[in-house]
Amino acid sequence: MRVHNRIAYAFLAPYLLIFATFWLWPIISSFLISFQNTRVNPWRFAPSMNWGRLVSDPAFYNALYNTLIILVIQVPVMIALATVMAVLLNSPLLKARPLYRFAFFAPVVVGEVAYAAVFRLMFSADFGIINKIIGTVGFAPVSWFDNGTAAMALVIMAVTWRWAGYNAIIILAGLQSIPGDVYEAATLDRVGKVQQFFHITLPLLKPIILFCIVLSVIGTMQLFAEPFLITNRGGPGGATETLGLLLYRQGFTSLNFGYASAIAYTIAGLAVAISLLNLFFGREAK
Amino acid sequence: MAGLTLKNVIKRFGALQIIHGADLEIEDGEFVVFVGPSGCGKSTLLRMIAGLEDISGGEIAIAGTVVNDVEPSERHIAMVFQSYALYPHMTVRKNLSFGLTMNGNPKTDTERRVAHAAEILQINELMDRRPGQLSGGQRQRVAIGRAIVREPQVFLFDEPLSNLDAELRVQMRVEISKLHKQLGTTMIYVTHDQTEAMTLADKIVVLRSGRIEQVGAPLDLYDDPANQFVAGFIGSPKMNFLKATVHAVGPDGVTAAVVADPSVRLTLPISSRLEIGSPVILGIRPEHFSDAGTGEADLTVAVHVAEHLGHTSYVYAGVSGEPLIIERPESRHAGDQKTLTVGLPAKRCFLFDAEGQRLR
Repeated sequence: MRVHNRIAYAFLAPYLLIFATFWLWPIISSFLISFQNTRVNPWRFAPSMNWGRLVSDPAFYNALYNTLIILVIQVPVMIALATVMAVLLNSPLLKARPLYRFAFFAPVVVGEVAYAAVFRLMFSADFGIINKIIGTVGFAPVSWFDNGTAAMALVIMAVTWRWAGYNAIIILAGLQSIPGDVYEAATLDRVGKVQQFFHITLPLLKPIILFCIVLSVIGTMQLFAEPFLITNRGGPGGATETLGLLLYRQGFTSLNFGYASAIAYTIAGLAVAISLLNLFFGREAK
Repeated sequence: MAGLTLKNVIKRFGALQIIHGADLEIEDGEFVVFVGPSGCGKSTLLRMIAGLEDISGGEIAIAGTVVNDVEPSERHIAMVFQSYALYPHMTVRKNLSFGLTMNGNPKTDTERRVAHAAEILQINELMDRRPGQLSGGQRQRVAIGRAIVREPQVFLFDEPLSNLDAELRVQMRVEISKLHKQLGTTMIYVTHDQTEAMTLADKIVVLRSGRIEQVGAPLDLYDDPANQFVAGFIGSPKMNFLKATVHAVGPDGVTAAVVADPSVRLTLPISSRLEIGSPVILGIRPEHFSDAGTGEADLTVAVHVAEHLGHTSYVYAGVSGEPLIIERPESRHAGDQKTLTVGLPAKRCFLFDAEGQRLR
């Protein structure tokens, strides 16, 4: 038996080694680093330095505020949109369904840098198509990259554009698992289509939607690419700086790995806490 | 309560025609069973009555009103699905009351109807459970309950018992029969199981490939099938068919000779004009073979196997490659013999032409 175990571990060893080196150790190491003063050489153990700074750092609160604003606006809007898209994609009336499915999913496949470049062009204050359209309906052009609120809206729109289709495909899978005869029974029960959506579709999709919300919360807590690439590294003046961006700035621009590690752990802790809250409030009644 | 009329009802899916002009009259309060093999169009016809499938041609009228263009919800029908189609996230109580609540039915009336249905189906103790916590039989009761609370003019059942085990099926069959007696509402029931059809129906509609083959009371179909298909479909085990030829035509009827053993000749009182030598099919049910020497002719068959069920035995046999099933009540040693000689009583035999139409 013990020999068998040894052989089994021998086969597992390459994976376990890689797992321990590149996954487990960095997690432990960054936790330890968060208790170090990394602004001196060699690093020194200073348990309250980074965590103490975190609770009093206006830049951290600004990033946290921005991240939470994006979370609170973007996640519900995106999930609602994704649900509507999934219902439309599931409609038997829709022609060329595979084409639409691909089109909605495509943003996930497109490289971040490429799509960020396209968004920057589209939202360019002077020659972007968005401002042109806004102009033709009679509104003043918007300085998407210079106005903090507009920049935030831009980030929210970009993230929503990128991930709504992805979530729609997951929700679509959930929709397709609801048997058609439940709707037929409801139709014969004289329940209208809208009532069917709110009383049958949505409750039955709840676990799937909850899953999408948790995934989106985790994603948004780590948000980096959009504010970095589209709104000029969290600009204007930190108006779109997220926790992910602050972490990057601290770790890889200021090379303050101790503080960056503390931020990383805060992001992970918040993501877990918010996800648990979601699961708690969305749990099935016994 | 209401009767139904189907006039030349047609269903097409694109170029494919599924129902080929069905005509049917269903009386108020009748229990009608649509029966036929898989793919015969029986469920499609039921769904057309429910309004879940469009009608490509013809007319369906419920209580004298043509409902071709009437929404399913306005047809005053309730349907019980094969898969139960319960709302999985709702309790039994909510499942029953959901439709009524959504339609703004007064709360007290909804509660009364739900309580009444629960009483009839004896599901009172299940009211706060969800479908996932119920057995198949209990779910089926809830599905029937959901139909009852609607107080419909017509109940539609789409193979409601096919997902249940054999014992429960028999039990539910009796309960559905009781329910019909109790409510007196028109019921249309789809099944591929001829036993269900025979035991439940006031009237059976036998369908094949989208055509109504015969309509009649269960025993009328058993005693007097219109064609070889109905003769084979109604009755279990199914009727035996032997190839035969017309040997003679006389004032007493037609004498047919069995191809497998031309010495076996039977004269049946048939007045149809037939040519001597033309091929026909002789039909006899397994339970209608008599003892050797007691029929108009004797047939000797090779015994393959026998199934002894206690009260009766089924002998699986053959004659010149043609398979036969013979029922031998009381016989517990039928399988021991290599051959078996049985009598063919002419009054229990049927004759069909080469196309399967009954010769009378």
